Order: sequence, then C-alpha cells, then structure tokens
Amino acid sequence: MKLDLVFSGIGGQGIVVLSDIFCEAALLDGFDVAKAEVHGMAQRGGSIVAYARIGDKVESPLVERGKADVILGFEILETARVLPMLKKGGTVVVNMKYIPPNCTVQGSAELKKPQDLVGMVRKKALKVHEVDGAGIADKVGNPIVVNTVLLGALSALPENPISKETLEKAICSRLKPKFHSINLQAFQLGRESVLLG
Amino acid sequence: MTSKIALNKPRSFVLLNGDEAVARGAIEAGIKIASSYPGTPSTEILEAIAEVAKDFGIYAEWSVNEIVATEVAAGASMTGVRSIVSMKHVGLNVAADAAMTLAYTGVEGGMVIAVCDDPAMHSSQNEQDTRFFSVHSNLPLLDAGSPQEASDMTRDAFEISEKLQLPVIVRLTTRVAHGKARVRLSEIQKLARKAKFDKAGSRWVMVPSNAIRQHRTLQHKLAEAKKLVENSKFNVIEDNGKKVGIVGSGVGYYYARSILDTKKFSWLKLGFVYPFPTDLVKTFASKVKKIVVIEELRPYIEENMQRLHMEFLGKDQLGLEELGEFTPDKIRAAFSRLGLCPEAEEQEVLDLPPRPPGLCPGCPHRAFYYALNMVNQFVNCDPEKCVGCVICEYACSWEKEKVFNPVKSRIRAIRLDPLSNAAIACKICKDAPCVAACPEKALAQSTEIGVVTVDEDKCNGCGWCIEACEYGAITLHPTKQKVIVCDLCNGEPECVQFCPEGALSLSGKTTDKIVTGDIGCYTLGVLPPVNTVQTCLCMGAGISQAAGMFHAGVKDKVFAVIGDSTFFHAGMPGLLNIAYNKANVCVIILDNHVVAMTGHQPTPGSGKTALGTNAKIIGLRDVAKGLGIDKVEVVDPYDVKETTKVMREILDYQGPSVIISERPCPLKIEKGPVREVLEECNSCGVCVKVFGCPAISLTAARAEIDPNLCWGCGVCEQVCPFDAIRSTG
Repeated sequence: MKLDLVFSGIGGQGIVVLSDIFCEAALLDGFDVAKAEVHGMAQRGGSIVAYARIGDKVESPLVERGKADVILGFEILETARVLPMLKKGGTVVVNMKYIPPNCTVQGSAELKKPQDLVGMVRKKALKVHEVDGAGIADKVGNPIVVNTVLLGALSALPENPISKETLEKAICSRLKPKFHSINLQAFQLGRESVLLG
Repeated sequence: MTSKIALNKPRSFVLLNGDEAVARGAIEAGIKIASSYPGTPSTEILEAIAEVAKDFGIYAEWSVNEIVATEVAAGASMTGVRSIVSMKHVGLNVAADAAMTLAYTGVEGGMVIAVCDDPAMHSSQNEQDTRFFSVHSNLPLLDAGSPQEASDMTRDAFEISEKLQLPVIVRLTTRVAHGKARVRLSEIQKLARKAKFDKAGSRWVMVPSNAIRQHRTLQHKLAEAKKLVENSKFNVIEDNGKKVGIVGSGVGYYYARSILDTKKFSWLKLGFVYPFPTDLVKTFASKVKKIVVIEELRPYIEENMQRLHMEFLGKDQLGLEELGEFTPDKIRAAFSRLGLCPEAEEQEVLDLPPRPPGLCPGCPHRAFYYALNMVNQFVNCDPEKCVGCVICEYACSWEKEKVFNPVKSRIRAIRLDPLSNAAIACKICKDAPCVAACPEKALAQSTEIGVVTVDEDKCNGCGWCIEACEYGAITLHPTKQKVIVCDLCNGEPECVQFCPEGALSLSGKTTDKIVTGDIGCYTLGVLPPVNTVQTCLCMGAGISQAAGMFHAGVKDKVFAVIGDSTFFHAGMPGLLNIAYNKANVCVIILDNHVVAMTGHQPTPGSGKTALGTNAKIIGLRDVAKGLGIDKVEVVDPYDVKETTKVMREILDYQGPSVIISERPCPLKIEKGPVREVLEECNSCGVCVKVFGCPAISLTAARAEIDPNLCWGCGVCEQVCPFDAIRSTG
C-alpha cells in the first residue's frame, strides 16, 4: 500500500493543520508516514503546498512529480498549479473557490478565468470531485470549517486507506472540544458530497 | 499538541517534525537548559522544549541572539549539566565567536548545538552548509536525514559530547526540520546533577598560554572522535552485494532510496560525518565497483574522498548543483542520466500567475511604508527616454480639465537641447519657495505628501510663484487666470500611465531617500507595490550600512528600517555606533511587540518569557535614549497623516534619530470593524495598486473588500482619495 498526497492552497487556509490531522490518523491506523511543508517567512497569502506520503514503509517526505495519487486543492488556481505532481489516472478533490492573486489585480500578471483553470484540472485528472466547501460550511454555520469539509471529501475516496472513525478521532484530538461537533458535521457533509455526488 | 514529546512511552510511535524530534532527543538525554533565538526552520526546537519544560525541570529561554544563547548553554554546561542551544544556519555565524573557542575550552556537561540549514532558502538570506563549519571549528557533527535520526542523534550527541568533552553539532535541513514522520520514542533519562563550577579549572581561561595547550587537547579529542565515527551506529553499510554503491548524507540519501529499487544497490548512510569516517568509506569502496555520492549543497563527502584519491561519481557526473535543495525529481534525473533508473515522464508546463507571500491585511508595516513612500513623491522624467511627444500634456489636461489642450496641462514637455527632451511637473520641494512667494497666501503645501494646493478664491494670477519656481513647474491657466500645479492625481498620475516611452514615473521613493532594510516580515516591503526596502543583508546590518552610506557622502537622507526583535538582536550596537560617530541616519524601529515572521515568539519588549512567565518590558524609547540618541519619536502607523508629517520633519533633521512605529502584529489581536466600499468609489485603484492591501480587489467599476480577509485597520479609509471607504463598525 502507498498513497502520495499533495495538499495545495493559500497560506492561512489551514493546509498544515489538515495535513497533520490526516497523517496523525494514518499513524493511528498503523501506517508509516512522512510529510513535508514549509512554514515561517510570512506565508500568509502565498501559495502553500504540503506533501503527505503513507504506506507500509516510507523513506522520504517529498512526492515526485507525476506520482501523486491524489491532489486535495483548497483553491482553484493553487490546484491547477500542482497538476504536474499528479500521476496519470490520478484523482483531484478541488474546493470550488477562486481567489485571484494580487499580482493580477495589480496588473503585473495576466488573470486566468476560473473555468479555464478547472478545465486544466479536468484534462489532467481521471477523476475530479468539485466540492462547494463554502456552501457546505455555510450549512454548518461557520466558514472556518471548509478544510474539514475537504478532509471529509478526501476520506470518501477509494484511494483513502484510513478508516472514517480514525479520522474523526484525529480531528477531535487536534481541535478544542467546543469545535468537535461542528467539525464532525462538516466532515460528514464533505464525505457525503463525494459519496452522493 | 507538541506535548507528545513528553510521552513517557518508550518504543511507541508518534508523528514529529525534525525540530520536535530534536527536542524529544534532548529531553530523553535529560537536559537542564535550553536556549535559542527564533529562526526558520529551527524555531520549533525551543518552542517544543519550552512547552513541556516545567514537567522536566528544564529552564528554557529565548535569548536576545544566537551568541548569547550559545554562551548561556555553554555556561550551564560548564557547571556539569546538559544543555542544548538551537538556531538556524545564519545564527551560527552570529554564535561563531563563542563556538570556535568553545572547541578549545571544551565542555563539562553534554552540550549540543542544533543547527538547521535552509537549502533553497525557503526563509533565509543564504544557503550555508554547516558541515563546513565543523571543518572550520573542529566540532563533531551529526547530519540528520529524518526526524527519527534527529531524535536519536540528539540524544546520543550528549553522550558523545561528554565522552569527548566537546560541544557537538546536530545538523538538520529544512525538509528534515519541517518534515513530519513517524518517530519511535526512547527512554527519558533522569539525571540528578547538581550545578557546580570548578573555579580553578584553567581550561576555561583562554589566555594564550592556556589556549595553546587547549588547541593541542582539541587535536587529541579529534583523534578520539575519529574512532567514534568509524563505529557509529549512524554510519551504516547495507551491503546487498551489488556493483553500484551509493553513499549519502541528509535527506537526499532518502530521496535516492525512495526512487531506486534499494535491493539493486549497496548503501552507505553517513550520519556522523565530522570527523570523516575514512576507514568505513574505504571498506565500503572495497565491496562495490562504482560509488555514487548523493549530498545536498556543498561536496563535503566528495572532497574527503578526493583527498583519499578515491574514484566516485559525484555532482559533476550526476548533473547535480551545489545550490538549492534536492527533490526526488532532481535525484531521478541524476540517476537516470547514469542509466540507473527510468526517466521521469514529461509534465506539461502550465503558465499560471504566481502567488508570492506578502504582508498580511492590517499589517502595520505596510501602513508605515505607505506613509514613508508618500513623503516627497513627484512625477519624474527620464530625458534619455522622453521623445517630447507631449502625450503627457494631453493626458493631464483631459484628466483635469476634460479638454485636449496642452496649455491647460500641469506637466510641460520641453526641449532641453536639439537632441533631448523632458517633461516638467512640480518637484514637491521641501519648504516650497512658491508657497513662500505667494503674496495672497493662496498656495499651501500639504504636510503629508508635500503637494502644493492652490486656493482659487485667493489666487489673483500675479505669477510670483511662477517666478519663484526654479523648475518652471507652475503655469497660469489661460482662461481662468489662476495658477495650476501638479497634484499627483492622488498618487496615480495619468501622465505616468499614458507615457508611451515609459519616461515618466512617480518617484521620490528612490530618488530622495535611501531605505536600508533588515531581516523580518518587513523585508517583504521590497515587493510591489510597496517597493520601499532597498537592502537586506543580515541581522542588524541595515543601520550600519546606512551609516556607511552617510559617511561615504550620499546626498539623500538615509533611513534604516528594522523590526523590534532584530533591533534587540543585533541593532543596538549599530545604533550606539551612529549615535557616537554622528551619522545622519534615521533608524525606524517597526515595533510589533513580537518576533512575527517565525511565529510570534516573545521579544524583550513583550513582557513574556519563553516559559510564559511575566518579565519586565524593555522599552525601545529608553533603549534608544540610553544608547545616545537625542531625537526619538513614536508614531502610530495606522495614523497615516501624523506618521507622514513626522517623517517629513525628520527629513530635515540633521543627526542620528529614531522613529518607533508602534502597533502590535494584527495576527495577535482581535479584528477591528471590517471596512466596506461605498458608491463614491470610481475604481481609481490607489488602495490596491499603491497601498496594496491584499484584502482589496479591483473590478472595472469599483474596489471590493473581502470581509473575511479585512483586519479592520482602517488605513485604506485614509488612503482613499475619494472618501469611498468606511467602517462597518
């Protein structure tokens, strides 16, 4: 068994926390785990990528280009950016949120249309799950749980070897008790969005 | 979360990053003292120790800089207890003076210097290879390639340190320090050592006679260390009886193992790398036909093998560089070049706009830079580029008068000589002579940006101001008979935008002041649209670079921007130096009460210690005064008007001065009332293209503020020329 995952989004979206929870759960389920990300240097607002590799034996934390089984994208442009990481026949879960980078607003780079970016994703990936993270988070009643919605979506993929219960346990051990129920609800709705969608 | 490093469950697995693993290793070794100065990617070592320090009777501190931290740890070790000091690679340069001679004095209790290198400079100003500091200093070094190794090596490094009576360096790189992996825990030792200092020990006094003896002692210790590396459990041969053997250290070795079929090669993992395990490498060489060396950054293993006249395939043959970090992709390309593994499949290159990190919404640094930039900006013309097309005059008259009539323009194109042209607009002089010349008091100069305004009710068209202006930048309106002068179009001059030759620019930022920078979040002020910071060398350098420029005779006023923590770290000697040697430099301390860039560690100005206890707040104003600066001003950067006024005044001040721009980091405080954009907005773009708040975006019709991103600082409200932004609170 091996699963190479790439998490991609924008600093401040909770990518590091989410990938941590996923890896903690993998460890609880008895897998070897390695992950990598970069923090520090005012990362907020910049592109953030985290890698997670789980399997029976994992030697190093970085995923090779063209070898990722799954991309979990927190934002459309950042999802497109890591497409070269995805293997042939790979799966993408993408949060349907588009945030144009500031350089396009300030005029130093050309703005891309979100539908073109989603087109790139569809062209490369065998399977794409488009998740309305903000809509689901709204249903739960707090925009902050978008990343838990995405974790729910990830958990429903056939590629995911970690049990639902273990992931829920990992969520609860990472977050304060007062946030448990809202996050578990978000997790469940994210799951359903893939299972039913 | 990190309290799992305190788990007393030997042989169980936890997920730790390399920094936390170092902390765990230190705790397993029974340390008494931990010290550090924050620096990515090493910060989490002390953070993790501090979090559980109380449970283990450990004293942990954020020292003011790395050499202080090293001396604190050394002092503790001299009393027989175990200590660890942690820092990033460039921190070791600061600590080098202590470390070099600590190799002579040696230590008593085990002492570990944990150093995190940052290949690819994810968050650094250079990429050093600390293995070469060991060559320089003769301090033994263990090179960790995974969190498990980081933990095991740190724990064992204390034993090695006590055996050799030398500090031992444990080196990590970013991907190890900030990579997380499964780590198997070991026993936590409990050492009941009492701190005791041997007052008669001459080895602590490095006067030449003692130092000469100690230098010889160091040579003997190295001979001992040599024996240890040959038999170290961190230097392991995996002999698979194959022709090709791979030698490596650090995380690059593990990338190679990930990519290759491990059974098809023999392997030598080097972990305890200084002194170099010569015999072990020779033994390995005798077992294989060909050796491939994999090591990030400098060719340390290669140079040692060259010295032994051994043959190998190294960076040159593999096409691997001495700079940047390794990735699995680079390693695959290298091995496929030798035919040892298949090539990677081609990936389509996507052309996407970048998303670099920037200053956060609500960041007081951005607000301060805006104010500083706004001091004395003007429309500047490059005569080398100007072709005299007068399009600027049309752009101006259309913008201001809604006619295409150059006579009604506030900018004037002129022919300097038969071959060169220029366009002239108001230069925003200090103490503008035009204003002084006006007998009707119709002209005034704004204290914030220096723009000259004309009160049309008072102006009688006498033209004295036109005479007074040495640039010829003021003209008389042909029909109104009132004077007209450039007002910078609220920071976005139309003429600049329409100049087809790119000859015009809104400058002042670079032409009338020099701004030296330093290390911290505020270095991001180099990025557009802020573009304020002009230098960044090393901690504290900005102040003294500014002094050097002044003494060299630059004509512009020199400003040195430095954060509060960097100032405490390395800025104070520089400030004392400019006070005593009378440099006309204005030092700006951006005081946000925290080490923001590395994740909010306390500073001496914060009133908190690493252990969470209260401390005396060291006031920056007192420090500046105490260091001999007479002119010290404190400004609130959220008050743009007042800040700009103070900055304008300081432009004329002769002598060393300090401006303290004081506002806490917004990530540390509650959000203020979110701002919203009103109907009045005409999408002029000042808030986005000049101020550059990332919470604001621009459509053709108007600006929009993202309420989730807006931190409620309210600076955009002051920046908007059309009063089109207001608070929702």
